[in-house]
Amino acid sequence: MPLPSSSWPSELMKIPANQRRQVIEYLVKKGYNRTEQMLRQESSHLDKEGKPINDRVEDLGTTKYSKAFQLLSNWVDSNLDIYKFELRRLLWPIFVYSYLELIVNGFSADGENFLREFSGPFEKIHHEELQLFQTIKLPQQVFDNATTRLYRNNKYRIPLNTHVYFNLVTFLESNGKVGGSVILLLLQTYCEVRETTRGPIDQFSFEAIINQSAGGQGDEADLQEGIPGVFTGITNKDIMNNNAVLRLGMIPMEAELALDVRAELEEEDIKHPPEAGKLLLVEEFEQNIKREESADAPTRNEIPLPPSRARDVVMEVQKIKENRDRFRIESRTGGIGPAVSVCMFTFHNTLDTITCMEFSDDNNLVAVGTEESYIRVWHLHGGILESALPSSPNDPAPSSSRRLIGHAASVYGVSFSPSIAGPDGADDSVPSTAPKLLLSASSDKTIRLWSLETWTCLVVYKGHEGPVWNVKWGPFGHYFATCGWDKTVRIWGQDHISYLRMLVGHDSSVNQVAWHPNGAYVFSASDQIDKSVRMWAFTTGECVRVFTGHTEFVSALECSPSGKILASADGGGSIILWDLAKGTQIKRCKGHGKGGIWSLSFSVKSTVLVSGGADGTVRVWDVELPSDPFKDGTGEIVSSTGAADATRVGAAPGGQPAAAAGVGSKKKGKDTMITPDQISAFPTKKSPVYKVKFTRMNLIMAGGCYLP
Amino acid sequence: MTAEQKLVWNPDNVRDVAESVGISSLNEEAVRSLSQEVEYRVGQVIVEAMRFMHAGKRAVLGTQDISQALKVLDVEPLYGYESTRPLRFGEASLGPGQPLFYIEDEEVDFEKLINAPLPKVPRDMSFTAHWLAVEGVQPSIPQNPTTAEARATELVSKGPGANPSLASLAGNDHVSFKPLVKHVVSKELILFFDKIRGAILDEDPDPEVVSLRESALESVRSDPGLHQLVPYFVQFVAEKVTHSLNNTFVLRQMMEITAAMIANKSLFIDPYVASLVPPVLTCLVGRNLGPEIADNLKDQFQLRDLAASLIGQISRKYAESSTQLRPRLARTCLKYFLDPSRSLGEHYGAISGLAKIGGPETIRAVLIPNIKPFEYIIAKAINERGQNDESVRMVIAAIVKAVTSITDASSSQLTNGTNGASGDAAVIEEFLGSVVGNVIIAMGNHKLNKAILEAREKYLPN
Repeated sequence: MPLPSSSWPSELMKIPANQRRQVIEYLVKKGYNRTEQMLRQESSHLDKEGKPINDRVEDLGTTKYSKAFQLLSNWVDSNLDIYKFELRRLLWPIFVYSYLELIVNGFSADGENFLREFSGPFEKIHHEELQLFQTIKLPQQVFDNATTRLYRNNKYRIPLNTHVYFNLVTFLESNGKVGGSVILLLLQTYCEVRETTRGPIDQFSFEAIINQSAGGQGDEADLQEGIPGVFTGITNKDIMNNNAVLRLGMIPMEAELALDVRAELEEEDIKHPPEAGKLLLVEEFEQNIKREESADAPTRNEIPLPPSRARDVVMEVQKIKENRDRFRIESRTGGIGPAVSVCMFTFHNTLDTITCMEFSDDNNLVAVGTEESYIRVWHLHGGILESALPSSPNDPAPSSSRRLIGHAASVYGVSFSPSIAGPDGADDSVPSTAPKLLLSASSDKTIRLWSLETWTCLVVYKGHEGPVWNVKWGPFGHYFATCGWDKTVRIWGQDHISYLRMLVGHDSSVNQVAWHPNGAYVFSASDQIDKSVRMWAFTTGECVRVFTGHTEFVSALECSPSGKILASADGGGSIILWDLAKGTQIKRCKGHGKGGIWSLSFSVKSTVLVSGGADGTVRVWDVELPSDPFKDGTGEIVSSTGAADATRVGAAPGGQPAAAAGVGSKKKGKDTMITPDQISAFPTKKSPVYKVKFTRMNLIMAGGCYLP
Repeated sequence: MTAEQKLVWNPDNVRDVAESVGISSLNEEAVRSLSQEVEYRVGQVIVEAMRFMHAGKRAVLGTQDISQALKVLDVEPLYGYESTRPLRFGEASLGPGQPLFYIEDEEVDFEKLINAPLPKVPRDMSFTAHWLAVEGVQPSIPQNPTTAEARATELVSKGPGANPSLASLAGNDHVSFKPLVKHVVSKELILFFDKIRGAILDEDPDPEVVSLRESALESVRSDPGLHQLVPYFVQFVAEKVTHSLNNTFVLRQMMEITAAMIANKSLFIDPYVASLVPPVLTCLVGRNLGPEIADNLKDQFQLRDLAASLIGQISRKYAESSTQLRPRLARTCLKYFLDPSRSLGEHYGAISGLAKIGGPETIRAVLIPNIKPFEYIIAKAINERGQNDESVRMVIAAIVKAVTSITDASSSQLTNGTNGASGDAAVIEEFLGSVVGNVIIAMGNHKLNKAILEAREKYLPN
């Protein structure tokens, strides 16, 4: 009975090594070349005792991934310093795909070990993803979960400079047997390594510094990394065309309104001539306020607004007066900082049920939304909130506060319609400039419009498919934007019960929304896996910019009145300023503690930014001073190790993840470092600050809840 | 290997549930898969609940977040866990290594609950306003945290890239850095400041110098552009008062300039009130003011009078911007008044200060009930110094002045002569003590007597 061909060598291999040599010699002599070669090949995989040698890592089963990952991270760490920064970016995708591969193949226990062993270096930046991966233990879950689906179904782009790429490939090939082939397989299957011609990058490389002077951030010089929608920890600009032309200019004033305003101003100038050293109101109007039609600005036809009324004339006149008479804040402060004043409104006995807070533009009203489904409005100066409706005898006498009841679940956002402080000594003939409408967004999927004259609900807007997190009036009223759990941003017109625009693109729930001051763009920010900030054109409904760089959920968004800068703040305590036109990051301001910066506000001239957050401080920032990226995170600024620049991926060496993680958690309390562009910080007494607002006269109003 | 896998979710729970729905023998594989699935779903719920926590701007995950999360995930919410407070879980043991957790419910004695007084109605939500910062400086008022609480050192950036002026603004003393404000003050202003300083401290009785002195004060009183100098003036006053305690002239001038600054409408003094008050208090209730000579007495009491009216003005004018100011000042004066170890001058200052700060109501509530105990001090002073000692007389006069100010001064004379009830006199004397009482009775002011008796009814501790 003939032996199966595959088994004969093993039979043969039982022969001791010296005899084998004799056999080979015999075969050579007889000219059986092929047989001889076959024998040599087979015997090379055997040790002296004739047992097979497992030198190929693929044969090791599930441990091959940890072996391979270890190999790669060791290699990256031992590489030249100039390449390290770039190569470290490889580790995260390899880590993710190794883990998912393990899970999909059903080795959940090995996956868990893998995660535990190697997650240390990623703790800082990919904290939320790691938390998510920890819960994923079954193949089915990989296919179910939105994040893992994103990873599996898209190729992760990794751009590498030519030299590094070559290096990597030769290394992996030459070490193919000890894990290189595993990595190569992962790279081929799930990633798309792109060769680029630029030089190696890190924060201090030539390219980074050149980009710096051009306004970019060093670590941001990279292009096209990651998967759309998946946060990579690195700025990602390939998602959309981030260079689409924007029209950030201010919308011109309606011609008739401008005429009316001019006439009114002239009259006012005659009645109250300006104090010495101040301009006539008309001059002020001509110089600073009036805008002509320009290519840089959206036109009135694109964003139709209702025709102006007498109230608009009064409001415009007031705006010009305020513009002339406001408290000046020096534009270049030289770091000393302007002497701003902060008026703090502390709410007591709230039992932590307040979710949001908003001041009206005329500085007379404050509205809070509560978890108990109602909205409460106060007059800030104790004035009586009268109702236009005749009161029935059972009604309590009007006081300085009113409740608006109608929502069926927690209210998460309120917004006052535009308003302005009225002229001094205004009588009944002058139309009131007080806010007339209030919007509220709630967890009951609706947005409600309330009248502040009758204190009743006027309209219920339905459309969102889940809790609505936030609502903001547009800069001219009439339109408003909302965002919600259903991953959409919607823009509504006050006069339609259905939305006008639905802006889709975020990969997780959208929790913040903000308007551009010209009313033609809307910003939104998403949480958890997405963490990107998007800018949408109102007229077309398209996404025109994507900004990524936050490592925690984005907790506040605000566009500067100049329309050129966007500020976004996150739960980790950093504020990032973005250049809208270029689509790049300007700087990152750090100083706030963890827990969320709940509100941001720019001064009128966009030179000073104020922020308030869960750490109970109000902080004032210089917008123009650079936060000095050359010193950033290198220990020159006093900082603990944990505060290492989060823009650097996998900064801790892969070899000692446990130690790195331990240090990070121990120093959590002192984890804040403060960038030098912070002008001042004002702590409150145990009151998280929910809202900060620069009034048009450059006073800061802050609101918080005393939570002992 | 997979069998050793650790699960957060105890598979026994799965088995228990399975048994409760009638599946008695669930195989090992199914149990493990199910517990993994449960773990995944629990994670999903927590991730969702975190969103609600962030949206509510809270730091603690609550049961309402979980139920909202379940709602958006289209799962029936859990009932019976609704609570605004974090739940307290108790632990009981079912056996070795088998802890059982349950929600701890407080045991309430029904009898007690019925008989107990009704709990306080929870207070309504309200708000208060205060200045968190004034022109870039955080005023030290009770609403703001103290420096120790705020850990000011950690609030500003440090290191070579940081701006040292910011650190000094935050009050970090170790920063040896001259305040940059100096650069902002123009040469003219500095010159002006030096001139004012010189003019004010010039003691020469020459009419020309006097007029220069007066015009300097007038300038501080009316010039609109002095705001940048305010901290310098404040510091100047504080320094001079500390170092020239034996010179009544200097002290007086300092009070004058303080008054001038307060009178200037275009200056914004509010953030500096806290530093303005101590020098004034020193002049009001200082132990020794001026040189230790006999004819200094007049100057000394005049200075105290000036300081008293100044402190009254300060407490009235700035009561709104710093709510605690007035009670604090009143308390300080009261402390001095009630302290028998103080000198007569100090008592005089305290009494007039109290009268000025608090007004009639305070006199009625605080001063009058304490006159009788205070008599001990007067009596002692009379014994030591004699009936006609000026200090003693001044103190008695101050008390009488304060007491009389509780009634409307203009109408006091009209009721004269109708002092019918002789019983009143005895009561007043008994109430106020013989020294002050006699003076008051001698005035024969019926209305005043009545007011005092009213105050006695109201405030006398039984």
